[in-house]
Amino acid sequence: MRGVTPARLWSFGLVAPPLVVALLFFLGPLIYLFYVSLHEASSTELYGARFTLANYAAVFSDPFYFLIIKRTLATASWILALSLLIGYPVAYVIARLPPAKRMLVMLLLLFPLMVSNVVRAYGWVAILGRRGVINTTLGDLGLVDAPLSLLYSTQAIVIGLLTILLPYMVISIANTLASMDTRYQEAAQSLGAGPVRTFVHVTLPLSAPGVTSGLLLVFLLTLSAYVTITLIGGPRTKLLVSLIYDNVVGFQWPQAAALAFVLLALALVVTALILAIMRPGRVQGSGR
Amino acid sequence: MSSPWSLPARIVRGIVVALAFLVILAPIVVVIIAAFSPTDFFKFPPPSFSLRWFYEFFRLENMRSAFLFSMQLALGAATFGALLGTLAAVFVAKRRGFVNGLLQALFMAPLVFPTIILGFALLLFYKTVNMPLTPGLLIAHAVIGMPYCFRTVLASLQSLDPAIEEAGQSLGAGPLRTLALVTMPLIWPAVLTGWLFAFVVSFGELNTALFLTGPGATTLPIEIFSYLQFQGSQLVIAAASTLQVGLIILIVFGVQQVVGLRRIVSR
Amino acid sequence: MRSPQGDVSLIGVRKTFGATVAVNNVDLDIPNAAVFSLLGPSGCGKTTTLRLIAGFEQPSAGDVFIREKRVTNVPPYKRDFSMVFQSYALFPHLTVADNVGFGLRMRKVGRTERDKAVREALSLVKLDALAERYPRQLSGGQQQRVALARAIVVKPAVLLLDEPLGALDKLLREEMQVELRDLQRRLGITAVFVTHDQEEALTISDVVAVMRNGVIEQLGPPREIYERPRTEFVAGFLGASNFVDGEVAGREGENAVVMASGRRLLQSDPSGAASGKVRIAVRPERVLLAAPGGDGIPGHVTHVIYRGSVTQFHVAGETGAVIIYVQNSSPEAQRFKTGDAVTYSWEAASGVVLAQGGA
Repeated sequence: MRGVTPARLWSFGLVAPPLVVALLFFLGPLIYLFYVSLHEASSTELYGARFTLANYAAVFSDPFYFLIIKRTLATASWILALSLLIGYPVAYVIARLPPAKRMLVMLLLLFPLMVSNVVRAYGWVAILGRRGVINTTLGDLGLVDAPLSLLYSTQAIVIGLLTILLPYMVISIANTLASMDTRYQEAAQSLGAGPVRTFVHVTLPLSAPGVTSGLLLVFLLTLSAYVTITLIGGPRTKLLVSLIYDNVVGFQWPQAAALAFVLLALALVVTALILAIMRPGRVQGSGR
Repeated sequence: MSSPWSLPARIVRGIVVALAFLVILAPIVVVIIAAFSPTDFFKFPPPSFSLRWFYEFFRLENMRSAFLFSMQLALGAATFGALLGTLAAVFVAKRRGFVNGLLQALFMAPLVFPTIILGFALLLFYKTVNMPLTPGLLIAHAVIGMPYCFRTVLASLQSLDPAIEEAGQSLGAGPLRTLALVTMPLIWPAVLTGWLFAFVVSFGELNTALFLTGPGATTLPIEIFSYLQFQGSQLVIAAASTLQVGLIILIVFGVQQVVGLRRIVSR
Repeated sequence: MRSPQGDVSLIGVRKTFGATVAVNNVDLDIPNAAVFSLLGPSGCGKTTTLRLIAGFEQPSAGDVFIREKRVTNVPPYKRDFSMVFQSYALFPHLTVADNVGFGLRMRKVGRTERDKAVREALSLVKLDALAERYPRQLSGGQQQRVALARAIVVKPAVLLLDEPLGALDKLLREEMQVELRDLQRRLGITAVFVTHDQEEALTISDVVAVMRNGVIEQLGPPREIYERPRTEFVAGFLGASNFVDGEVAGREGENAVVMASGRRLLQSDPSGAASGKVRIAVRPERVLLAAPGGDGIPGHVTHVIYRGSVTQFHVAGETGAVIIYVQNSSPEAQRFKTGDAVTYSWEAASGVVLAQGGA
């Protein structure tokens, strides 16, 4: 055996710390969480001793859960569709800016992502709330008698999350478009395709990787955006993630764990769906 | 490149872009304007300029300590996460194969994993092993920050000429000295960029911290959130938010001075 | 098992990557103070052989020796060699002087001694003035010289060069070949040179090893490799070659009589080894072109290509398609046009009988 050299041993020592942390504080706790989801609740312990599938059965038999899952998916679909519809043209314009200008605009997009979501959600509360910019302005102008109720609805959640997550979509697509070899477009035009057909047959399929990563990011972040949903949607407009939080706070930990895995399953299914539709792999790799 | 768009199309396009930037940036701008208003409740436009709510912020013991705690936490978690991410990237960069692919997926996973579930899973784990609050939160944020550094450093390593490390070895530098004298000097801007993202993410992180904070160990975003939920939207929140934004601008500016803006934008 | 000799030896070295065999049972001693070239097409195993000597790859079987010491399991940084990389691999964060001094620093050579050695090395490659520059501020040729200085300053047992001139344009490359050769002679350093460029290998080497599919096909001085190729592959890889199939029909003094396409050819064969079916290789510049009528082989010109120093004639003849170079300084070069009837011939000593079955 010539396998184990000191250099190899040394490099395994290199990966040990991150590996231990990733296993002990990421993968391990998730496996433990799954284990807990298969147990009864307990009023004295973190979870009961008896094994049960009831926590999952509850999710699939209770029409309330069903309604919440449906609402979660509907909200996410709206956000995905709108962010793509708005994000793509914006990304297209940005990708065609000269590099210096493009960098500035990208920074303008990146900056909001660095600001805590609680600040941005609060910003929407300050704009749409009963004492927000819109209502006070309309009131001062005498256009409305009583403040309009603009927050606390699924529509408000869609608008809030859409604007919070839109930069991810724009940045993903713009990066793909900007790094795309313009010779592809030139080749298409040399073969007789006009601007529209060039876009539909060449640019659009080639941007699939950017669109895919944008869709995935927006979707996954939508699923777990508890704070934004709570601040903008209010106490009654609940999505799946709110139920997880409520169950954790209510010490129904096995049930919360089961819901967490339902959420993960949902994330996996939709991710697979997005990948199957977009097939980003077909244009990745070598094309030259 | 000449534009294939007609004039009306360009106008529509301009409006779409302007609108997109408006809705993306408006909430932050409104918060910052609100923070400087003198009134009890936000009036738009504010009648005059005042620092009243910033004084108020620093008068509130909870807010003040949350701000300091967040800063220390982000500093610690980003540094720890950057260290882990860099080590992982250095290991993964030169290897191929199935196991390596798995490792890479594992190190990247926290980036897209629903953070609230990670927070819950860690809460459960911490409760079981009696982990104290602050180190627990620090590790949680390091786990979330690690992929940012892993990603930037890995990209930087992969763009390095593989012969450069061999050159170090051919001249008699062992693996450790090659790492210290050849590789690190070339990838440190990526390490710093990754650190910056880890810092920013930790500083604004909400969904994991939601479950892992507690008395004496509350982050600013969580403090803002609970204040909003239970005390209504007083303008001291706007001031707190503005400070959050201000610190991020400061730190991005600082790092940008060292590594250049291009590296941050096209991480 | 034989014992290693000289600065570098490989004994029974084999290297596999999964199912592919990159280097297959290579046995060689590299002569001291010589330039030894590994020549072959991409994928022939020449670079892998070099990396096995360096220790960047571990042999699957066999042993590597540097100065008669077995280094098979010694990591690269503890082996006595230095290397010039194809991409130069200069450290971008270090100045030229620091790049050149790196190896000495690793060897714990003191500051003053190191500075002196660096200065000397830089003056050897004529870069004294650029010591404080950074690699990105240098031209390709200058970077190449820095890489060379960095490698020679440590006075290694063997200098490995992995296509070191590949990134330079033709003119600069030819200039550097001469310079490299000159420097190596002056320092008396043993060098292993990997290249896929046959002209470069012939120009620069004392010994050339032609590799193919992980095996050394032929090893010898440049003249021998070029003039007396043993296999069709070697004959074809080192410049153009014509091949004629025939059968030995008898002897005439030093020569064998070969019958090819019904023609009687004389082939030099002093040892009398040729027998049965043979394949003969003839270099295009060794074929003589003449007007019809003599006792040459008849044929007609199919293409005429002007190539600067020579004109290249393609002739369809009785022994098959033949390529012939005629020096443009000779009036013959302009005598024939496409379609002309011609005859061609070569001297008995110009042909080489190739080994059977090898190709």
